[in-house]
Amino acid sequence: MRVLCALHPHLGLVAALRRHPDLHGEAVIVGGAPELRLPVVAASPVARAAGLRAGQTLRQAQQLCPGAAFVPLDSGAVTALRASVSVELQRLSPAVEAGDDEVLCDLSGRHAAYASEMAWAAAVARALSVILDADPPAVGVAASRFVARLAARAGTSGRIRRVRSGDEAAFLAPLPLAVLPVDPDVTARLAGFGLDCLGAVAGLAPADLQRQFGLDGLRVHRLARGLDGDGVNPESSVRAWSERLVLDGSSGDLETLLRAARHCTDVLGARLAERGLAASEVRLDYETEDRAPSGVCVVPAGPVGNIVETWAAVLGLLGELRPGAPVTAVLVEVQRLAPAAGRQTDLWRAGDAAREAVFLAAGRLRARFGDQAVRRPRLALDPGDLPERRFAWDVPAVAGGAG
Amino acid sequence: MADSLSAALATLRSRYGPQALQRGGGQIAAGVWPTDAFVLDTGLLPGGLPRGRITVLAAATRGASGRLTLVQSLAATASRGCQVGYVDLAGTLDPGFLADLGADLATCLVVTPEAGRWDRGFAMARTLARAGLPWLGIALGGPSQLRPAAWEHALAALAEAVAKQGAVCVVAAPSPLATPLAHAASLTLTCTAAGWQRTHGDVVGLRVRAVVTKSKVGPSGAEATLLLRYPRPYAVAEIVGLPSVITPRVVLPEQAPAIAASG
Repeated sequence: MRVLCALHPHLGLVAALRRHPDLHGEAVIVGGAPELRLPVVAASPVARAAGLRAGQTLRQAQQLCPGAAFVPLDSGAVTALRASVSVELQRLSPAVEAGDDEVLCDLSGRHAAYASEMAWAAAVARALSVILDADPPAVGVAASRFVARLAARAGTSGRIRRVRSGDEAAFLAPLPLAVLPVDPDVTARLAGFGLDCLGAVAGLAPADLQRQFGLDGLRVHRLARGLDGDGVNPESSVRAWSERLVLDGSSGDLETLLRAARHCTDVLGARLAERGLAASEVRLDYETEDRAPSGVCVVPAGPVGNIVETWAAVLGLLGELRPGAPVTAVLVEVQRLAPAAGRQTDLWRAGDAAREAVFLAAGRLRARFGDQAVRRPRLALDPGDLPERRFAWDVPAVAGGAG
Repeated sequence: MADSLSAALATLRSRYGPQALQRGGGQIAAGVWPTDAFVLDTGLLPGGLPRGRITVLAAATRGASGRLTLVQSLAATASRGCQVGYVDLAGTLDPGFLADLGADLATCLVVTPEAGRWDRGFAMARTLARAGLPWLGIALGGPSQLRPAAWEHALAALAEAVAKQGAVCVVAAPSPLATPLAHAASLTLTCTAAGWQRTHGDVVGLRVRAVVTKSKVGPSGAEATLLLRYPRPYAVAEIVGLPSVITPRVVLPEQAPAIAASG
């Protein structure tokens, strides 16, 4: 596994500077008015140069930097910025974890458009810089999130610090114990034993550390050797996109409704394909003048990520949903959006690239003709004497789909 | 006259492509899928089963002919290299037997329409072929219950999907062979049971005489005898992990008794 960590300005600060462009280059403290008993959330480079750090109280901040501008944290803007970062970087990486002041991306494997890991990491850094309209971030690339984060911290803005696989322990060895994300009491006791750097801790036997610190000791040993193995934890997406088309007058004509649904599907499918996302749920709603909107929802056999797949799902919904009154608007919604899953095609297996399409077709056949229409046999783990007990039936399903 | 005809042919070919005009009686160029059975790939078929065409394994007479075992063993061979669909309209498929034939069941999709609904079976086969399924086996059982018009419609749609995707499509059909299916097939292999293969008194296989009765992709009239050796998964002498159902042998008439005796 390869993990990229990019450190960028706090999103609260970015949102504040977008809202108040005249504060660029000034001392800005995000958190609220200095009278409030609240901590500093973020500070601009000028304020940090005055000794300010996140977590200090706002009153302390005012004493350290009396001329600073104090702005409240705009949570809505931060959430929107985080979503924007996540969506944009998902074009470059299959798994993205966007935080307030750092982004973690999965760089495992190879990217078709970038020849090397460095080129790939540089592309992510450039994209992040463009999204946030900020200086290029400090980037670290390593085999785990802990090492990648430390590599990013060890670098400077606009530089990529890459720790090769196998070199983690050597990279971590000179670092102080304070970088360990464990209970401070543990690091204090380690220091009491005369251990002053991660290399010294890594040289100990894990059994000795476990005897002294329990499970924390084992974790410390893994971290000190760069063997924590923690990767990227992408956020579970609950987002949805919808497209609504208001008809020119009410209509109950199925052909008109089909065309309206097709238009909405084309827009949504194209947007899904462009953003590299796939939806696990599709919904169709009819809005009428006098009644509440009526709608149906379907979980397709596999996530839909383009016009063709989305239209196949919507077409099934059109067959289910009968308008009870003249329809004034048609709404198509794709829900549970997530990065479209990619996989390595098996070049030795002919037609493997069409496997998802075949499984989706099988799912449609099952939906239309029944669950027993298309199945996949599997040998039973505990076969009996009877021939029919030698095998069981499975549902052919794409990963992440309904099956 | 000849010059004007040549000029007209050249005009048509330049306007509509080289495939617009073809001489009658010629063979259709088609890619092939090697069956890995020597006698099939060299003796009977032009390198293997044609891609993008419908191949029919037809029973010569009512009763056992070996066509279903043959199509299942071909499906088992194909499943080790690609996704396979098996439309079981005969209702005789035993996945355990398919596994004994050496099939990779993880790549097999079994389509089982309602009993008697051949039209649905063909529609499902067409859907899977259109989706990109590269290998399709269809086992028909009993006499046809479809009207000729429905037959032709279903077969035309299936043939179009198979041709478009370049898929291999093998149909095992009972006797008598339905006329629409006979017309739609690019290759027809007529199978006749030639007797059981016995070893120490036990039936270990079926000898099948196969004749190419129709071929648009190669010469017709070729004939050979195959030995479909039944799998014996619990026999200690079997080669484990290798399918051994097809042991094809070209049997000359004067050598037939000797081969039958040797097992």
